[in-house]
Parts: sequence; C-alpha cells; structure tokens
Amino acid sequence: MARHSVIDDTRPLGVVIVGAGFIADHHGAALRASARARLAGIVDVDAGRASAAATAAGGVPWTTDLAEALGRADVDAAIVCTPNVTHEPIALQVAAAGKHLLMEKPLTITVPSARAVADAFDAAGTVVMAAHTHRFYDYARAVNDAIAGGAVGRPVFARFALLGGWIWPDWRAWVLDPAKSGGHALHNGVHLLDLVTWWLRDEPTVVYARGRAQTAAELRIYDYLEMHVEYAGGADAVCEMSRGHRPSTLDRRDVLVAGTDGVLQLPAEGWGSTVVTESGTSLLHPQAANGFAVQLDAFLDAVADPAAERAMTQADGVRAVALGVATELSIERGEPVTLDEVMQGVLA
Amino acid sequence: MSDTTLGVLLLGFAGLGPDQDHQRSMYEPAFEAHPGFEIVDGDLDDPAVDVVSICVEPDRRADAAIAALQAGKHVLADKPLALTAADAAKVAAVAAETGKVCLPAHHQRFHPMIAAARGAVAGGKVGLPWNVQADFLVAGGTPSPAGELANFAVYPLDVVLALTGLRVRRVYARLTTHWNDGGADDLALLFLTHENGLTSTISVGRTRELADTRPAGLAVHRYRVSGSHGVLDIDASRPAVVLRRGEASSYTTSSGPDGRPRGRLPGWHGPSTVDRLLDELHAAVTAGRPSSPSAADAVHIAEIVDAARTSAASGQPVDLQEGSR
Repeated sequence: MARHSVIDDTRPLGVVIVGAGFIADHHGAALRASARARLAGIVDVDAGRASAAATAAGGVPWTTDLAEALGRADVDAAIVCTPNVTHEPIALQVAAAGKHLLMEKPLTITVPSARAVADAFDAAGTVVMAAHTHRFYDYARAVNDAIAGGAVGRPVFARFALLGGWIWPDWRAWVLDPAKSGGHALHNGVHLLDLVTWWLRDEPTVVYARGRAQTAAELRIYDYLEMHVEYAGGADAVCEMSRGHRPSTLDRRDVLVAGTDGVLQLPAEGWGSTVVTESGTSLLHPQAANGFAVQLDAFLDAVADPAAERAMTQADGVRAVALGVATELSIERGEPVTLDEVMQGVLA
Repeated sequence: MSDTTLGVLLLGFAGLGPDQDHQRSMYEPAFEAHPGFEIVDGDLDDPAVDVVSICVEPDRRADAAIAALQAGKHVLADKPLALTAADAAKVAAVAAETGKVCLPAHHQRFHPMIAAARGAVAGGKVGLPWNVQADFLVAGGTPSPAGELANFAVYPLDVVLALTGLRVRRVYARLTTHWNDGGADDLALLFLTHENGLTSTISVGRTRELADTRPAGLAVHRYRVSGSHGVLDIDASRPAVVLRRGEASSYTTSSGPDGRPRGRLPGWHGPSTVDRLLDELHAAVTAGRPSSPSAADAVHIAEIVDAARTSAASGQPVDLQEGSR
C-alpha cells in the first residue's frame, strides 16, 4: 500500500475481469476488498455467464466484446482468467489498448508468444504481470524470507510437492486438452517451477521431467508431474505437481530446502491441523492472508510505479513459460531439455 | 530362532576412506551382543569359523568374499559389496554356486518404520505403488573420499527396492558437491524408472554438521510411497523421543546411518538396524536359505550406482539391460 500516492488518488483503478470462470471469483473478491481498485466490469464470450457474474458482483457492466470493455475510459486494467490458449491474443489486445494486465498463469503457452506479450507491454509502457499466486501465499513468503535472511546459507537443493487428487470436471474441461491448456506443466507445473526458481535465486539451465496419466490412462495430460530443474549456480530442485493422487482428498504441501549452512523444512504434516472424523482424516488449513489480495496489491504497486522493483517481473513470467515448455518437451522425449533450447538462445 | 551358535571371523577393519571402520564401530559390538554368534580367532581354514564378517578395503572386498565363500563360509559384507557391478556379480555367482549366505550390510531396510512399511506395501495398503520419493541426508561426520553416491546411496536404494520389489530399468542422475571441500560428490539425485513404470527419486548426501542433528546423524530420512489407492509416508527419523533442551539437541532415534545411536543421548529402545541385520544373517544360515537382501540385490544396486555415474557424467539417462548379469 506504500506507493499508491503516485497514481491518481481521486478514483480507484478500474479493472475488468475477462473470463468468468472459477478463478475469476478469487480475483473478484480481492478487488472487492481493495480500496485501490474496483471491479469495473465483466467480459466473457458467453453472455449468460458474463451477465450472471456481473449481477453477482452487484450489477457491474458486462459485455461479450473485449474491445468495448477496453475502450472505456474508466477501465485501466484487466485481469484475464480465460483458457490458456487465448492468453496471447487477449494480452496483445490489452497492450494495444494501453491498459495494464494481470494475466492468470501461465502468461502464454509458448515461449515466442510469451516474449511477444512481454515486448508488447514494454512498447506500450504498461504493466503485465503473470498471476503466479503462490508467490503471495504466506507459506511461500515465509520460505522465501527465511532463505533471504540466510537461514540455510546458499540454497543448493529444494524439494517442493503440491499433491492432491482429481479436481477437474468432465472430459470436456479445457484444462484436459493440451491444445488449450498447454498441458499440465503449463497449467499448474509453472506454479512450482516459478516458486523454486524464486526461492533459489538462480537461473534454470536444464529440466528433466517425468509425467504420468495417473487418474485415467486415457488422459492427454499428465496429472502427476515430477520436474527436476538444474540451475546455473549448481543448485537443483525437484518439484512434484499432482492431481492424480488417491485418495482424492489428499491435500499435501511439502517443502525441503538444503543449503550450505542448514536445512529448512515445511513438513507435510505441519502446516494445518489434522481432523479425524468418522469419515476419515482431513487437513484443516490455518487462517491465512488472501494471496489473491496480496497479489493484487503487488500488481497495483507495479501500475503505480512502473520503475519500482516488482514482485513478479515480465521476465519471471516468460521464464515460467519456458520451464513449463521444457517440462512438456522433456517428458515427450524422455530426456533432459536445456532452457537455452526452449528460449531459443535468448535470455528472458 | 535356532540356538545354534555360529563362529564369526572378523576380516578386515577398513572402509571407504581412512576413517571408516564399520567392523569395530558396528559389527564387532553387534556380534558380541547378539545371541547365536561368537567371535573366534582363526582363519578361513578353521572349522570353528561359520561366518566371515568382511570389512577389508573396498577394492579387495569382492575377492575376499569369493575366497570366504569358496572356503565354505557364509559372508556378511560391509557395503558396498564391491566397487563395480561387475565385481559384485562375480561374488553373487560364487554365492549361488556354493549355496552359502552372502549378506550385504544393507541394514536400513530393517529400520522399524521401514520394515513395517514393507509389510504394508506388500499387503496392498496403498494399492499398486507407482512412485516413491526418498530423502537420505546425513549431517556432519567425515565425508567419504569415494563420494556419497558410493557410500550412502546404497541404503536408500536398497530401501526403495525392498519397498517396491521392482527392478530399475533407467537411471538419470546428478552428482554435485556443496559441503565437502575435498571435491567428492556429497549430494546425489537419482531419478529411477523401474519395472511396471514405477518411478522413484532419491536425494542422498551429507551436509555440513548441524547443531540440531548429532554428528553423522540423519537430518532427513524419509520415504513417500504413492499407490493406486493411497499414500504411505515413512519418517525414518522416528520412532523418537523429541527433546527440547538448553543446548541444541534432537531426536533420540533408533539408529544413525550406521545403525547405532549417536552421542550422549540414549537411542530408541529395541534392536538397532544392525542387530536386525544379524537376526537375518543367523536365520538364513541356520535355515539354509539365501539371505534377504542377497548378493544379487547388491549387484543390482551396484548396476544402478554405475549407471548413475555414467548418467551424471553425460547428462543423459542411462538404460539398464535386463538380465545383463
């Protein structure tokens, strides 16, 4: 909240949400809780979904025409929550309209398109930030603070697992179509790839990944991903992202970081309370800051002062895409893939 | 257990590096304390010797084991059984020919948490296992001059193989050095693809000494088995009494990597992993059956270690040939 005096204080930033799916609700709640921004409207290709979301949000304007929304003078920014394959054209449209963008992860699903989006916003002088929301969760910041404070010396090995069961709807869900989602590495793997890279403060060089279609052999995505990342400074990370575990109620977050001076753990059993009932054992999450709200603040800070250091840079967003692409490629080949190859020799 | 008393010859007091002497630190005291064994002064020709406990230098170990087996003796061999898979295979072949027990000292599989887990997996508690994740991080102690892939990796590899019963077909590995100024690898990451498509990942290494872990104690020792119908978490730093004291302290666990409690604090009650290893040795010898683990298990682990070295050097996965040995 420190830098908002730089922008026009007379009105909060007008933000439209594009794509009224389930993740839009989290962004909408963050907007409602913010004094620095307001929900200015809803855009969705489905008029029924757009109008329903607009009504639920207290009767804000809605449209199926993105250009119409971006043309409004009271719209300063967009939060885009559409299927991943649409991210590039929508982002380029937002950039051309001179508006700021908080893009649901991944920034796009290919490296050239991610770079094109970053370049378009650079040229427009507006902000684009990929919504790697885990960076703004309490646990991720606690781990990052500990590492930044020298708790383990120089981190050399990180393990990070987010494990759960099946959560997606039926076979028609776009996340299950690699052509629309980019695959699970782009859809969810990027959360972990971005986070460990942030924690390790190093540039990734090689990815070796293994994937499984665990829930059903017919899946075209890998609902279980294991991603090994090698870093320029000699560190390694092993990330696991699963929606293929059983029982489907499994809810697991596990962090281990070994450094030159110590070992840090966020034990799987330590981050919530265990509830044991007649129907089984479950995890009661601790109360936590709203990561979407913290993320929105970081985005608003970047909009207010584009020159200030950003919580999530454009290069971070491009790098996450490159790591996701390298993951999918490594699984396909059964071999390690260099970041140089997927970045086409050009550093983000 | 049979009340037969077996004569034990202690052969060699060496290990990987000048400081490692598991004969004196582990096996001699364990044999002395274990019913059914008696340490005897003698040689391979002595009929009072039933079992030879071999801790000669690793590069002579295979030959020593072969000589003992051919002399009609049973063998307990410190790990690694041999420095290469080819040498380990020679030992296994002689063990098979002679019908004598050749037990490699992969004693971590006898850890009370792990032994129970092996039963649970075999009993179908988590359905068909499809992934194992393992961490075996020791803090402090003397770094192995041969590197921790050669030294410690045998333990978690044996545990993963014992848990799953599935041989490894493909190995991708990273070897790095972060704590050991001498240059030998002190962190190995092993990405293994097993039969039936099961995958496993092992981190194994030796960090610097940590105030909250006893010197050469295990800072992290755990396994997660994911199966078609459930997940099994094994924390091998337990069972333990947890202490909070005015000085740095930690769990008092059943065993360190060498199977014995460390430091001033008492260990967990009950037999150590080395005691249970000797239980298996005695039972296999008196029953006239092969031991579990067997020399063949040590051969497969040596194949994996060899492949890991090749993979780490090339940066590419290495396929193991089925039935190559």
